[in-house]
Amino acid sequence: MPLIATENLTKRYPGAVALDGVTLELEGGIVGLVGANGAGKSTLIKILLGLVPATAGRAIVLGLDSATRGTELRQRVGYMPEHDCLPPDVSGTEFVAHMARISGLPADAARERAAETLRLVGLYEERYRPIGAYSTGMQQRVKLAQALVHDPSLLLLDEPTSGLDPAGREEMLTLVRRVGTDFGIAIVMASHLLGEVERVCDHLVAIDSGHLVASAPLARFTALTRLLTVEVEDGADLLARRLTDAGQVVRQEGRSVLVDLDGPAPYDLVRDAVVELGLPLVRIEQRRHQLEDLFRGDSPLVGEEARP
Amino acid sequence: MSGSGPLWGPATEGAPDPRSTPPAFDPAAAPLAAVHAARWYGNVVAVNDVTFAVGPGVTGLLGPNGAGKSTLLHMLSGLLAPSSGAVLIEGRPIREHPDVYRRLALAPERDAAYGFLTGREFAVLSARLARLPDPDAAARRVLAMVDMEDAADRPIGGYSKGMRQRIKLGAALVHDPRILLLDEPFNGMDPRQRLHMMTLLDGMAREGRVILFSSHILEEVERLAQRVLVMLAGRLAAAGDYRAIRRLMTDRPHTFSLRTSDDRAIAARLVHEEVVLGVQVGDGELDVRAADYGTFTRLVARVAAEAGVSLYELRPTDETLESVFSYLVNR
Repeated sequence: MPLIATENLTKRYPGAVALDGVTLELEGGIVGLVGANGAGKSTLIKILLGLVPATAGRAIVLGLDSATRGTELRQRVGYMPEHDCLPPDVSGTEFVAHMARISGLPADAARERAAETLRLVGLYEERYRPIGAYSTGMQQRVKLAQALVHDPSLLLLDEPTSGLDPAGREEMLTLVRRVGTDFGIAIVMASHLLGEVERVCDHLVAIDSGHLVASAPLARFTALTRLLTVEVEDGADLLARRLTDAGQVVRQEGRSVLVDLDGPAPYDLVRDAVVELGLPLVRIEQRRHQLEDLFRGDSPLVGEEARP
Repeated sequence: MSGSGPLWGPATEGAPDPRSTPPAFDPAAAPLAAVHAARWYGNVVAVNDVTFAVGPGVTGLLGPNGAGKSTLLHMLSGLLAPSSGAVLIEGRPIREHPDVYRRLALAPERDAAYGFLTGREFAVLSARLARLPDPDAAARRVLAMVDMEDAADRPIGGYSKGMRQRIKLGAALVHDPRILLLDEPFNGMDPRQRLHMMTLLDGMAREGRVILFSSHILEEVERLAQRVLVMLAGRLAAAGDYRAIRRLMTDRPHTFSLRTSDDRAIAARLVHEEVVLGVQVGDGELDVRAADYGTFTRLVARVAAEAGVSLYELRPTDETLESVFSYLVNR
C-alpha cells in the first residue's frame, strides 16, 4: 500500500485552478515538495489532511480516503503549518500537551508525550515560559513538537525553516532528517529552498500551476552531466585558451572552465595545462544537474514523469 | 580601498579604545560607510561600534537572528540615528543631508505597502514621493524590472509573499537609486522568483550600483555576493571577501577530497610536501589536510603530473561561506 496515492486530483476555486489532475504515488521516506508560489502546494497539503475537499479525483493517505475519513486520517498524520499559529499566552508544555489530548491521548499520557517530544526537538527549560516570548527558532520547534506528539505515521511540514537563521536551519534540518530516518516517520516537506530539499529529502515532487511536473528519487534530478568543471583561483581565461588550443570544447564561467567530457582524455590535458601555466587549481569535478534546472526548464526529468 | 573594506572588524579584545583608532580606509571616498556607528535602545545595545565601507557590487549582510542586521540597515538608510558614531553616504553624514535619499533606497523586511493599493498605484505613489517628473513612466519601468506587469493592477492585499517582495523592491527602485539596502529580499520567494531576483540584483551590480542585502540563506549569498559583512551580537565580526576571510583562519586546516587513478601513489608523494598536514586514503577517495590554501592549490596538479596520476576529482570541502560563517559564529 502506498503512503500517499492521488488520482486525477483537481481543485478549482472560483476563478482559479489550484490543482489540475494530479496523479501521484509516494512510497514513504522523506519527500520534498517544491513548486512556485501559488502552484498548489498548500492546497495539496490541505487535501491530504482532509481539510479541504477536492473538486474531482481523490487522495488516499495511509490507505484512508481523505474526503471521507479525515478524522481517522488526522489521528495518524502530523502537520506543521507555515504560518504563525501558536497561542502566545500558554507555555510550550501546555500547548503541546493540549494538542496531544486533542489527538485522543489521556491526560497523563499527553503530559508525558509532550515532555518527551519537547525534549526531542530541543526545548528544555524554556518550555514552561509563554510561547509569546519564544524566538522564531523556538516557535518552529514547538510547531514541530505538536505535529509529532501523537506519534504519527506521516508528517506534513510546510516550510519548516521559515524565518530561521543559519544555525537554526541547520538544527531544524538535522531534526527533520532524524525524525525521518531514526523514527521511521514518513515526511512530506514543502520548501522553496532547493538546497534544503537536496540535503534532507530522498524523493522530490515538483508541481507547477497545478500540474505535476516531476516525481522521482532525488538522485535522478542531480545526475552527472557530460561537463567537467575546472576551477582555478585566477587565470581561467588562460586555461580556457590553452585547452581550446589543445582541441577541447570549453566555456568559461567566472573562475571556472567547463570542459566537454567525451571520454577520459580531458583529465590529463587539464592537469598538464594547469601545471604548465602554473595556476592555483581549486576544483576538478564532473558537473551535476541541479534541482534548480527544474525551474529553468532544462531538467532531464521535466515532462518525463508528468504523464503516467 | 572602498571596494574591499577592512578584512576584519575592530578587535574585540586587547585593543586600546576602538573609538580612538581611525578606520583603515577613507570613509569619505566610499559610497557607503559606517564609522564607529552604534545604536542602543535603553540598555540594549543593538549595534556596537561598527566601522566598515561598502563599495559597488553586491555585499551580503549575515548574522544570527538578533545580531543587529536590521538595525544596521535602518541606520544606513538614515531612518534611524546612530546613538554614537556616523553613517556616511558618499562621504556625507546622511542625517543632516536629506538630499542623499535621492541616491539611496531601503526595502525593509516587513511589508511596507498598503494592501488596498494596487501594485501600480504603490509604485506611482513612491515615484510621486520621490518627486519624479513622470511618475507613471517610472512606475512602468520598475514594474517591468521586477516582473510584476501582469499583477500590477490587482490590490497588494491579494499578493503572495513573493509578489509582495517584488513590489516592495520595485517601489524602492523607482527613483533609480545608486545605493540599495535590502533586508531579506528573498524571503517567501519560490525558486523561480529567486533566480529572477538574483539575475536582477546581479545585473544592477554590474551597472555599478552598491547593493547591501541581508540573508540567512548562505548558499544564495555565496552565489550573489563578492563580499560579506558578518554581524555577531551587535559587532562586526568580519568584513570582506569570504574566501580571503577563510584564508586568514590559519588555525583551521584546508581540507580537500581527491579521486585519482592511483590514490596511494599520489598520497605517498603528498605526505612529503611541507604544506600537507595529513593524508587519509579512504574507499576510492583521498582526503588531504593542508596548512596553506595557496601553496596546496599551486602544488597539487604538479604532484599528480610527476606521479603520472590522473586527477578525476578535486574538491575543497571546507571553503564554503557556510563553513566560514559557522567558524565565525562558534569561535
